[in-house]
Amino acid sequence: MNGNTPYIVVNDLQKHYKGGAIRALDGIDFSINRGEVVVIIGPSGSGKSTFLRSLNLLEIPTHGDIIVNGTNIIEKNVNIDEHRQKMCMVFQHFNLFPHMTVLKNMTLAPVKLLKKPQAEVETKALNLLKRVGLSDRAYAYPDQLSGGQKQRVAIVRALMMEPDVMLFDEPTSALDPEMVGEVLEVMKELASDGMTMVVVTHEMGFAREVGSRVIFMDDGRILEQGSPADIFGNPQNPRLKDFLSKVL
Amino acid sequence: MATYFAELKNDFILNFIDEGRWRWLWEGLGNTLIITFVALLMGLAIGIVIAAVRSTFDKNRESMEMHKGFGYYVLKLSNAICHLYLTVIRGTPVVVQLLIMYFIVFATSRDSLMVAMIAFGINSGAYVAEILRGGIMSIDNGQFEAGRSLGFNYIQTMIYIIIPQVFKNVLPVLCNEFIVLLKETSVAGYVGIVDLTKAGDLIRGRTFSAFMPLIAVALIYLIMVVILTALVGVLERRLRKNER
Ligand SMILES: Nc1ncnc2c1ncn2[C@@H]1O[C@H](COP(=O)(O)OP(=O)(O)OP(=O)(O)O)[C@@H](O)[C@H]1O
Ligand SMILES: [Mg+2]
Repeated sequence: MNGNTPYIVVNDLQKHYKGGAIRALDGIDFSINRGEVVVIIGPSGSGKSTFLRSLNLLEIPTHGDIIVNGTNIIEKNVNIDEHRQKMCMVFQHFNLFPHMTVLKNMTLAPVKLLKKPQAEVETKALNLLKRVGLSDRAYAYPDQLSGGQKQRVAIVRALMMEPDVMLFDEPTSALDPEMVGEVLEVMKELASDGMTMVVVTHEMGFAREVGSRVIFMDDGRILEQGSPADIFGNPQNPRLKDFLSKVL
Repeated sequence: MATYFAELKNDFILNFIDEGRWRWLWEGLGNTLIITFVALLMGLAIGIVIAAVRSTFDKNRESMEMHKGFGYYVLKLSNAICHLYLTVIRGTPVVVQLLIMYFIVFATSRDSLMVAMIAFGINSGAYVAEILRGGIMSIDNGQFEAGRSLGFNYIQTMIYIIIPQVFKNVLPVLCNEFIVLLKETSVAGYVGIVDLTKAGDLIRGRTFSAFMPLIAVALIYLIMVVILTALVGVLERRLRKNER
């Protein structure tokens, strides 16, 4: 693709519930370039998760376009499963597969979907585990891991698919405070490796340090966006000011 | 005391030994077991299909409504048919279903054993379907989403991620359904099958002595149920031990 076109473009995205009585998303226009790290902040119920989940169609939008790498994924003939392989998601509650070891969690998708040889995939998985400091946990089951370890596994599980974009929905919100750092560390490393990331988080420190751009959402709309310096140093929208005064 | 035992002995000989009447019970037991076993297999097959249709519809409804295609209408119709089946089967007594099968649906067939297998199989299928669907619905939706977000399609997600977890959760419940089925087949006598219950009743009618044959029948059911229940217990513990 042309280097100047954003990797994802979203036009007037809307998601209604109860026949329009609830507008979780109320006209979102958004774009992200390759290598960008966009951090989404906003109060609870503002539509952050709904937006993130729309990007890989875990939520079906009511209206609007989502153009990924030139393809409008809302269209009927698009193979959404292939699209999702390139756009992996990390969840607040990890969602590791409890009946499989860490290694199996990581190798399942590349072996079954990308048809890669088991041995090659395992080597890759072990290397990734090493990078996130979990070499010794390859044969453990998810229930034997701490929250921070589970989330690191969830991240490398997604990386096994070699995605173009990674979506994070409050990846540290379910963690004990002492484990937040280890997960953010992995995400920072990913960002500095050039991964395109969309991150919903309440970790303002992360937003400030790692974000290329920060988006403030409320009532299903983007109310303000800009560089971390602008958003945190010179907020304009009164609701953003109010929000920041509560979280900072 | 001695006369009491002598009477008991005579009673025993009358009911089980004379004319080889114990053989009636033996054959009855055979029929009970074969009906239960075949009905179980049929019930499993029906239950799996119905549960698959119902949960596929529930889980994909939203995304299919986005682009209503031919598949959507097929699935919607199948789901409605399954729903009707479940309502009718679970809303009527199994004896009535058995009688309808024998005297109306298969009125031309006199193979009552076959008809009973089918009737109990169809009945059991409804319960198995709901057990399986409950098992699928009890899996955290995050598991589906994790599977789908890695790029697995719906069927792959079910096969690799959901069903192994469901299977572990519902296996003991399915075994209990099997135990219930074993006891429910005792109404097979209504369509002229000599199952275990009917065999005991026939002996009673012949000897005019109710105690021995009926208690014997009860004991045989009880022993089978106690053994099967114990096996389910072992299975449950085994499954829990493998869990992490
Ligand atoms: N299935 C649903 N039915 C009805 N309303 C819904 C549904 N899912 C989400 N909503 C509503 O949509 C709005 C946006 O929800 P969303 O989960 O996207 O918010 P959020 O910004 O992620 O909040 P949080 O910070 O609490 O995670 C909320 O008002 C929520 O109640
Ligand atoms: Mg959320």
